[in-house]
Amino acid sequence: MDQTFSGGVFTETIDGGRAGAEIELLPSGVGARTPDGEAFVIPYRECQVEVGGFSGRMVFCRNADRSLTIFCESPKFAKALSFASSGMLDDQLTSGLKKQRGESRRGFAIGTFFVIAMLLLLVGGYFGIRAGARSAVLALPVSIDAQIGDAAMGSMDLGGPKLDDEVVVGAMQSIVDRLAPTAAIEGIDFRVHVVESNQINAFALPGGNMVVYTGLIRNAENPEQVAAVLSHEMSHATLRHGVQRIGQSLGIWAGVSLLIGDVSGLMGSAVDLMQVASVNSYSRAHENEADREGVRMLHAAEIDPSGMADFFEQLEEKHGDVPGIFAWVSTHPDHASRIASVRAQVAALPSHEYREIEVDWPAVKRRVDEMDGREIDQQPNADQENAEVE
Amino acid sequence: MQTEIRDRPSFANIRVRLEPGDEIVAEADAMASMSSSIEMKTRWSGGFVKGVLKRIFGGESMFVNTFSTSTGGEIILTQPFPGDIQCLELKGNTMFLQPGAFIACEPGVKLGLGWAGWKMFIAREGLFRLKVSGTGRIWFGAYGGIFQREIDSEYIVDSGHLVAYEPTVGVRIALAGGLFSSFFSGEGFVTRVNGPGRIYMQSRSFDGLAAWTNAHLY
Repeated sequence: MDQTFSGGVFTETIDGGRAGAEIELLPSGVGARTPDGEAFVIPYRECQVEVGGFSGRMVFCRNADRSLTIFCESPKFAKALSFASSGMLDDQLTSGLKKQRGESRRGFAIGTFFVIAMLLLLVGGYFGIRAGARSAVLALPVSIDAQIGDAAMGSMDLGGPKLDDEVVVGAMQSIVDRLAPTAAIEGIDFRVHVVESNQINAFALPGGNMVVYTGLIRNAENPEQVAAVLSHEMSHATLRHGVQRIGQSLGIWAGVSLLIGDVSGLMGSAVDLMQVASVNSYSRAHENEADREGVRMLHAAEIDPSGMADFFEQLEEKHGDVPGIFAWVSTHPDHASRIASVRAQVAALPSHEYREIEVDWPAVKRRVDEMDGREIDQQPNADQENAEVE
Repeated sequence: MQTEIRDRPSFANIRVRLEPGDEIVAEADAMASMSSSIEMKTRWSGGFVKGVLKRIFGGESMFVNTFSTSTGGEIILTQPFPGDIQCLELKGNTMFLQPGAFIACEPGVKLGLGWAGWKMFIAREGLFRLKVSGTGRIWFGAYGGIFQREIDSEYIVDSGHLVAYEPTVGVRIALAGGLFSSFFSGEGFVTRVNGPGRIYMQSRSFDGLAAWTNAHLY
């Protein structure tokens, strides 16, 4: 039984009070030999056994007056010690190990609790801030939307000249006016601007400024299809997706400082963001929400909502291979499933007598087409004018 | 080899007088000045993988420098932050150091990196720790003054103040008081250390400095 283990010894007789040692289980007791050749022995019957150390598995043997301590961390040491001492130290060893096991179990439980609490706090904090930002912006008065939307409208590049043809703008405004009473919230004043551009696109800014491109009008077969797109865009405004986006991007503090009335500083960044957000996409969830709300508005305004899905399909067939021109649909992802879900929603609606939109559609389209001709004719003139101004 | 720790405790540095045949291993960047007769050799701290691990987790550099001389000379070693330096003689025993504390050692000392565990992470001592063992002197530094204590029963150290401890010392994380007083007293978690064994503590903590700096930034 001349097994040796590596361990150490504490005693005042060594300079510094400690040294590493080879531990040996001698017939007379636990022995330790330091690298300097000093040897120490604690007889088994004097041995006070403790278990502990950083790992919780270190066995300490201490003499009666605790002036000498021999310790070892080897996993086999406890068993060997019990064997070498013929069971004399078993009680102390067992109770020491038991105490350590209890402590490590307790430590593990506390650690696990701590880690779980941290995770919950992180996840909760993330969703809390998101929800907080959402409810903070939704708690804002609707007039904020109009302030942001008007400022963005005034400074953004619309991608073409504004059109003030009474027939075209009037037709668009009349569609919007028919939809407006069905809006989910009150207090939004919808104003339509028509912009000459080949883009098949339309968007609404927070607060009710709406932009319709002539490309959209030219590609719509009937006013119901335009109404479908407009209802979708109006829904973004009435559901306040724009300010929600601002809230998410600028964080909860944006909402808080808006609430306490410090609007000026945030206004600039909100307007900047909105200029991009209106042209770029909203989140998928917001798009789906706007589709559903759009269909609801159409139905409530007694406009045939099947125009929405029809128009999506028609646009894809006609322009699916032309990127860029297909702007409105291309910013609205996952086309096929979207058509399907709109169709499903329309099918689920209670049957209703839909009224036609009272707009002279051929006249509107004629005006838009004429405008195109004029645009082409006037292109050189416009350049000349610019040149003169410069 | 004669050594002396000077300018204690605030801006301690180690002055080492090397005789022909003497060698001292120091943390990369620890050298502040040296005689032209001293040669420096750089090697990976315990090999490439261990060196990188020490860099990432041990707060030490990937390299260690070995200084030697054929004619004799002097070298000054120091640490990056203000504080005391402690010399410790190992006789086959082992010591754990907090990450970043190691400065220099004699060639007989083995440097290793060990997993300290989540409890030491909570105690703001890092997930890893340096393990020094073997025979010879080592020098380690701390932020502020260093004080040591031989513990036999339980003793309480605030988190972030423990610089070095022996493997015989048991460490438990505990709240400083009750739930309320723990978080509002500014003490939060503390480490309860259990003897027998020796611990070295620093009189300042980096977390305290960071918090204090943060509070004065704006």
